[in-house]
Amino acid sequence: MIRERKDFACELSDRISLAKEELRHRSEDWKELSRKVEESRTSWLVAGISSPLDIVRPLPERPRNYTVLSSDGSQIFPDRHEALPCYLINISSIALTYGDKAGARLGSGPSLFYRDEDRFTTWGGKRIPADGEVISLKRTLMEFERILELVKGNEAEGNTIALSDGTLILWRLEAAPPDFRSGIMGPFLRILEEFRTLRVPVAGYISYPGSTDVINALRVGLCPEKVSFCNQCPYTELPELPCSPIEGLTDRFLFSTVLDTGEASAVFKSSSKILEMYGDHHIYFFYINIGEEIARVEVPKWVAEDGRLLSLVHTLIFDQARKGKGYPVSIAEAHEQAVVKAKDRDFFFSLIKEAMIKSDFAVTVSRKGLSKRIPGV
Amino acid sequence: MSDYIGEVVESGTKGFIARSPRVGEAPPFGSFVRTDAGSPVYGLVYEIITGSREPGRKPDAYDMSMEELRREQPQIFELLKTEFHVLTLGYLEAGKIRFALSPLPPPLHSFVIECTDDEKEALSSEDFFLRAIITSPNVPADDLIISSLLGAQRARKNDKDFMVRMGKSLSRFLKDDYERLASILRRLL
Repeated sequence: MIRERKDFACELSDRISLAKEELRHRSEDWKELSRKVEESRTSWLVAGISSPLDIVRPLPERPRNYTVLSSDGSQIFPDRHEALPCYLINISSIALTYGDKAGARLGSGPSLFYRDEDRFTTWGGKRIPADGEVISLKRTLMEFERILELVKGNEAEGNTIALSDGTLILWRLEAAPPDFRSGIMGPFLRILEEFRTLRVPVAGYISYPGSTDVINALRVGLCPEKVSFCNQCPYTELPELPCSPIEGLTDRFLFSTVLDTGEASAVFKSSSKILEMYGDHHIYFFYINIGEEIARVEVPKWVAEDGRLLSLVHTLIFDQARKGKGYPVSIAEAHEQAVVKAKDRDFFFSLIKEAMIKSDFAVTVSRKGLSKRIPGV
Repeated sequence: MSDYIGEVVESGTKGFIARSPRVGEAPPFGSFVRTDAGSPVYGLVYEIITGSREPGRKPDAYDMSMEELRREQPQIFELLKTEFHVLTLGYLEAGKIRFALSPLPPPLHSFVIECTDDEKEALSSEDFFLRAIITSPNVPADDLIISSLLGAQRARKNDKDFMVRMGKSLSRFLKDDYERLASILRRLL
């Protein structure tokens, strides 16, 4: 097993060297690759290119005073084996101000959903119970709403960023029917628009990313065809496809050999299908070496195209990760404040039962629920 | 109530624990304090602890001065708490301090305030507080005797007779342990 792992590591190192060489080589004629990427039809997500691929952006100077606003959420899903069909979403609020007026505001607020309009959702014209997927998307929206509230209530001047845990690309909505999709996407895009009006850059931070968008762009470059159409690939008879030598690598591997601590990559355009709905808020991304790892940072188009906002995001995310010993302190704290643990869940449902009993309400739980609570021998 | 120095977060007959409104600030060790709700309970601060608010999270080292920490890691001060433990000495009954354990512990969330000089004088008018300290397990008795005596003497405007009287009481309480008595008396000078 160890030998196999070692062989794999050697092979990986060769592939990373090849990918790095391709990154440099394709940067010389990046416009040609950009055209080819745009015209090609592949089965994978390919990074849109609008500058040399091997650009390394040095760490900008950090402003002495700045504010970072963040939020995260956690939930108690409905359980049909419990006394009442309801669920809870807990959303945290984090406002950290650094420098001369340093201060911190940490908090969280739960919302209880039990009415029919909350428990059911319209999905492709049908009324279905809100499941984990629906509740998670609702939660994401609530997190951004909370960050927007924080931005509006923020009295600090300038140098403010809004930081979110994870991607800004709501790709889960791709599989949702239009009625449900627009119910989430509409408010989400309105929030992004408000951020733009307020000139507060919003960024999604992805630790240990598994994305391969840039590697895939290089694979398009390796394809001998003038334009790549994967479903008409003429090389399938060959022992190895021309684009295969760097297949399986992630962008993280590649940029770990390119970026030094604090440095950021070029900015790329994501080609996720759902982004067709994003309009002016199309999501762009870059990689950053924060010391401990390579992270992916996603920003809307208006941040990607504004040098000042982009530099602010770059330097503040790096500073946040330094303060958090490898992970942005604001996001870590947002999680800590929001998290609902298993014992909180048990307490929540026992509180509901207690309240029902106090009101002389008959409490009925399923036999399964009962059996879990009082296991017999 | 703006001038309170703590809020009772754990209450018992023999003593209580109060949370300080500001991290790192607390009435000094050996201070005479009292609760302000209902029938006031009087006591002595014998332990001050600053630590994490959440049991699962441990303070880390940051290699920064306090000023740097406040500027660059402001969130940590929201995640810490300072609590002080109080040994009950007596309570107020019909306007008079009774040197005995209160029939009921102070209500949770009552505020804690520092005793006035008059109250300190009343609490140290007899040697009961010294006996309470000596007979209490789990308190750093000798140091608490020293700090409370010095605090009481300051409230009494350096009354020398008071110290002599308390010294005599101590020699009675500790007649079987000369070394301990001598150590306390030497440290009082």
